[in-house]
Amino acid sequence: MVKKMNNENSSFFESRRSFLKGTTYTVAGAVVAKGVFSTIVDTPLMAEETKFTSTPENLLFYPPHSEWDSFKELDGQDWKRGGTGRNDGIKTEDNPDGIKATEYMLVPTACSNCEASCGLTAWVDIGKYKETKNPKDLMVRKYMGNPLHAGSRGRNCAKGYAAQSQMYDPDRIPFPLRRAPGSKRGEGKWVRSSWDDAMKEIGTKIHDTLKSGDEFSKKTIMYQVGRPNENGFGPRVPQSLGVDGWNSHTNICSAGAREGTIQWTNDDRNSPDWSNAKLIFLQSSHAADAGHYFQQAAGRIADARKKGAKLVVMDPRLSNSAGMADLWVPCWPGTETALYLYLANRILNEKGINGEDLVNHNFVKNWVNWEQLMTNKEYLALLVEKKYIKAVPQGESYEDFIKMISEMYTPYTLDFVVKECRVEARIVEKLYEMFIDAGARVATYIWRAGPIAHRGGWMIARAGFLPFVLRGAMAGDKGGVSLHHWHVISVNGKGQAATVSGENPPKVDAWSELAWPPEYPLSTYEMSHLLPHMLLDDEWRAKWKKKGLNIADKLSVYVPRMYNPVWINPDGFRWIEAMKREDKIELSFNLSPTWSETNWYCDYILPVGLAGERHDQHSEATQPSRWLSFRQPALRVALEKMGWKPKHPARGTLEAHMAAGLGEVWEEVEFWANLMTDYVDPDGKLGVRKYWASKEDPSRAVSIAEWYQAAFDNLPNLKAAAAANPKYKNSKYPNYEMLRDLGTWLEEDNIYKPQERPLKKEGDSYIAHGHKYEVSEVEKDQFGTLMVEHHGEKKAIGIEVDGEIVEGFHTLSRKLEFFSEWFAEWKWPEYAVPIYPTNKEDRKKMIHLVTQVHHDFMEKGNEFALNTVFRLPYNIHTRSVNSKHLMEISQNHNPVWINTDDAKRLNIKQGDAIKVTITDTLSGLESGYFIAMAVPTEATMPGVLANSHHAGRWKLKNAVEIPGFSHKLGVMGLGAPLYDMTMDGKIGTLKPKQGLDAGMMERRDTWQFKEFNKDLDNIWWDGLSGSWQNAVAPSHPDPIAGNHAWHQKVTIEPAGEEDQIGDIYVNYENNMKVYQEWRDKLTRPLNSSDTLRRPKHMKRTGPAISDIGYSVKITD
Amino acid sequence: MNITKEEIENRIALYALISRLMMTEVDAEFLKSIESNEEVLNLFPNYKEWGKRKEFNSSILKERYLDVDFTNLFLLHLVPYETFYTRDDQMIESGGENPLMNLYDALDFRVELSKARVISPDHIGVELEFMYMLCDALKKAFEANDEGGVEELLLVQQGFLRDHLLNWAPMFLINMKKESRTALYHDGAELALEFMLSDYEYVCEQLEALA
Repeated sequence: MVKKMNNENSSFFESRRSFLKGTTYTVAGAVVAKGVFSTIVDTPLMAEETKFTSTPENLLFYPPHSEWDSFKELDGQDWKRGGTGRNDGIKTEDNPDGIKATEYMLVPTACSNCEASCGLTAWVDIGKYKETKNPKDLMVRKYMGNPLHAGSRGRNCAKGYAAQSQMYDPDRIPFPLRRAPGSKRGEGKWVRSSWDDAMKEIGTKIHDTLKSGDEFSKKTIMYQVGRPNENGFGPRVPQSLGVDGWNSHTNICSAGAREGTIQWTNDDRNSPDWSNAKLIFLQSSHAADAGHYFQQAAGRIADARKKGAKLVVMDPRLSNSAGMADLWVPCWPGTETALYLYLANRILNEKGINGEDLVNHNFVKNWVNWEQLMTNKEYLALLVEKKYIKAVPQGESYEDFIKMISEMYTPYTLDFVVKECRVEARIVEKLYEMFIDAGARVATYIWRAGPIAHRGGWMIARAGFLPFVLRGAMAGDKGGVSLHHWHVISVNGKGQAATVSGENPPKVDAWSELAWPPEYPLSTYEMSHLLPHMLLDDEWRAKWKKKGLNIADKLSVYVPRMYNPVWINPDGFRWIEAMKREDKIELSFNLSPTWSETNWYCDYILPVGLAGERHDQHSEATQPSRWLSFRQPALRVALEKMGWKPKHPARGTLEAHMAAGLGEVWEEVEFWANLMTDYVDPDGKLGVRKYWASKEDPSRAVSIAEWYQAAFDNLPNLKAAAAANPKYKNSKYPNYEMLRDLGTWLEEDNIYKPQERPLKKEGDSYIAHGHKYEVSEVEKDQFGTLMVEHHGEKKAIGIEVDGEIVEGFHTLSRKLEFFSEWFAEWKWPEYAVPIYPTNKEDRKKMIHLVTQVHHDFMEKGNEFALNTVFRLPYNIHTRSVNSKHLMEISQNHNPVWINTDDAKRLNIKQGDAIKVTITDTLSGLESGYFIAMAVPTEATMPGVLANSHHAGRWKLKNAVEIPGFSHKLGVMGLGAPLYDMTMDGKIGTLKPKQGLDAGMMERRDTWQFKEFNKDLDNIWWDGLSGSWQNAVAPSHPDPIAGNHAWHQKVTIEPAGEEDQIGDIYVNYENNMKVYQEWRDKLTRPLNSSDTLRRPKHMKRTGPAISDIGYSVKITD
Repeated sequence: MNITKEEIENRIALYALISRLMMTEVDAEFLKSIESNEEVLNLFPNYKEWGKRKEFNSSILKERYLDVDFTNLFLLHLVPYETFYTRDDQMIESGGENPLMNLYDALDFRVELSKARVISPDHIGVELEFMYMLCDALKKAFEANDEGGVEELLLVQQGFLRDHLLNWAPMFLINMKKESRTALYHDGAELALEFMLSDYEYVCEQLEALA
């Protein structure tokens, strides 16, 4: 008897079929069966006395740390086929048929793919080297986690384990490459250079630039960093040169979240305690799926869920996280602010089930700057004028404040949110219930997607924290939300005690407008996505010159570092235009571990190392503790531990990599120290050399051991542990050697509510920010904030709360700032409290807060919001491009997700090629289109397409000839298909020409690390299903935070007969106009009323800037 | 002996079929082996009538439906490993300490995990294939008129079903049936469970008859 599907009453036991009688199944078992069994080869039994266990007890197995310098493990192939139970012992001369045991040295290091810095161990095969003493016999056989790492706990994501395939990349750049003399940038003609020849040319150029000593010399050298993956070394480079020459990528990554968070906390990101939360509230998939710290965050979130925590994911896309959440909240992208203010409204205006207030008054009263607001009558009058409130409150009490904001958020009703966010009412109500049920134990990480993708994205973060503040979840307590700077260690740039100067370089007396233009004084941070626009916009520079700003017309040296701005930034053709112009960028070099689109247009490509090939101190705020990773070059450490010594003590990493056959692969710490000491300022006349020359031996650059010994001296617990450890206490560099063995350190654990810590006091002085302030100098203002005079400026150092003098938050008021007074003073008063327009008319007036992809702008049936900001968990923007492991799972595949109803309506089917045309909603200008593959799915909300900005790599040559090199050098063979490009200054196009599989097969002789890469003949993906959509998008910066507002309004239609998936067509002349319109219509630039370039209290990445640098005089 | 060769061959065919179904994704050949045999197709009654089977060719069926279901059932949402069901901590024992590994070793079998593309030898597909191997051995003993061998193999089969497969696979298969989204895996779950239960009774009956 056969039961119907979905018949819940059916039972497996009610009527047994007769399977064997009266029938014959003509299935040949041997053909059908998979055949996974084989008979055992004749092997003698395993010797009883063996150190090999048949298997680890669990998947988290690591050998004891005491065995890391020499640990033997059975060969993996044999192990997985039967365990040691059936193997006799080990392959030896007497037993040639035994199983091979590999002798490893486990060198701890840290992943360098995403920013999480999960611990790794590089398993260096040292057996053969011990016999031959030939360093080329060393090989990293695998990367595993580091079980000692407090953050990652021995676990890694796919990107961590893939460090090996990045190391032995078939197209690895084996030595410095220099653009061939006589060729133009972008022609793809390269010659081999030595590091010293490269450093000579670069050093001379930097030297000559600095020598003039004028203002331009201080702002025409630019060091632009992608993901830094270290703490504090990078900014020291320009600071030691005395230049304002730092540029970072935050404005395409996180500027919105940083801006909103700074207004509340004067810290630029939060730090959740996932493990102890009752509700995990994710905005976007970022924290648990693909973004910041996701491997560590996901593990902690899983721990919390195991204890009963619920998971909510707010995202227009059904991400992996949303797919396994208790509640998915698909919210129209960019309208999240409305939803957060709805939560605030209900928290303020409703009661709990027992009639209690839902606001945590104890926390809000003590730790929110309501007094500052309630005593500012002028500002309260503005709130009335703006119709946020009806009248200025009579009183100034806390109760008056609560009453006032209860009224202010009343308009954010369920009806409004349902319409504005396009979320079903039942989901919104469920979200509220879950939020309330969790009390103060709600953890979030507001970062990517919303805040970065939109105009006004920063307000999403600003409003996002409001319900958390009201419920007391921002108290930095267990299971709630803390702040980044409480949980991070930054000493990578603090090795100055090991240098001749013994001090940090002084503050810089300059201001680079090409990084910090006057239209964006509050940006977070450098406006790096506009660099080519600013360089090429003569009119704009001339305008500001007339107003008194000496904006540089060119860069003398441009140094992207592990960064691929051409590809990842919007308006890529504009980048190419600028990179090609030798009159605009006189010398460029990329410190880059892999080929990239940007490298193609540089003068030098200098190969630097990845996870197990470089030194960095790296720490991230992933939990309420302060841990660090010590990234190390595994082959070098292994060699040194076995007695090898570099000829030049400050060039150990380069020499080790050359000796071990990895290539002339170096690292930044040694590179910069050598460049500065020997080439930029060899005679010390520029005053640069002393910051990089070794105190121990001033004739050379500082060495790694010297630098890190000094840097780690800044961590008292680490220093004490190294000094007390018998193994290191007699060493010259105990801190360094201990970290060389451990690869990680936990300086402080269980950090909760540090704002409540008593302000340090010694005798009659308070200690704050490393300074002593006599009690008599300290003034308490009317709100209890302790103020001091510091270098002529008022500064807050602590606060009195309930009669106790405590540290407080990092803000000017030492409280969380619901009202951001400085933000109001810096020309944006109407947005200095969390707010959002509630009708179409107000959306026009408050345009700065309204996303460029708001549904107001979607008028026709084929117009959509394109969600571009989500990462693929197995890729990193640039550096994973040629990892065979990661590319096999990503394949450069990047379809456009479209809701099934939308697809049906437009007759679009799975796999159809569609033309996606981008139009700016401010200027009305069209940017061009890309052709992509459509995938109809329920996993994106109606009206919203999704296409990650994470794929669509390209190259223009499959391989390049390098004179003197034994074979051609391949270019991104595993991740970037071959394209044809055209560009004429106005229109740019790309058209795919050859897939990855065909490209790799036609140049088999070029594969490096042949044994490791012998499986490359098995490439089954061609990579031709993604498009370089980033190039089509215009740069349109949020007028306040400066983030490139990533999402785009698009129209879609079926692709034409000539169109091919991967095609792009870009009107980059229009894109320039789009940028200019956003800049000129929306910003509130500096003017003659300003004396500062930017609020001094607000973080400014890069070198420290002096008062001279900060000061500005503009003539209107 | 009451056993017939036809019965043994049917057992071989069925264990081969269900083990293959649960080990890896289907391919055109495997689907053909079901489609081309009415008796076999009748074992998958819902699949037989499934509209999509008639609408699409096997490669589209595989790509859009069957592989998606397989991934859900065997890789993502369910855990088709014995130790997951039998260990208190629900961890998969993926190394040499897996009890199945020792059992296979003791009987001179070795699992090629890399070929099976599973992480440990107690995967349902592997265990079912082990039954297939035992039935194949039974056939050889039967053809050689080795009564002692037949009895021993039946005892091993009885023990393996009792101590391993029937100890956990029903729970997995019930879950699989509930979670399945295609007729093939829905029917496959039901077939596997019913067949195993009936096969255990069959083995017990044969042993009683031999005693």
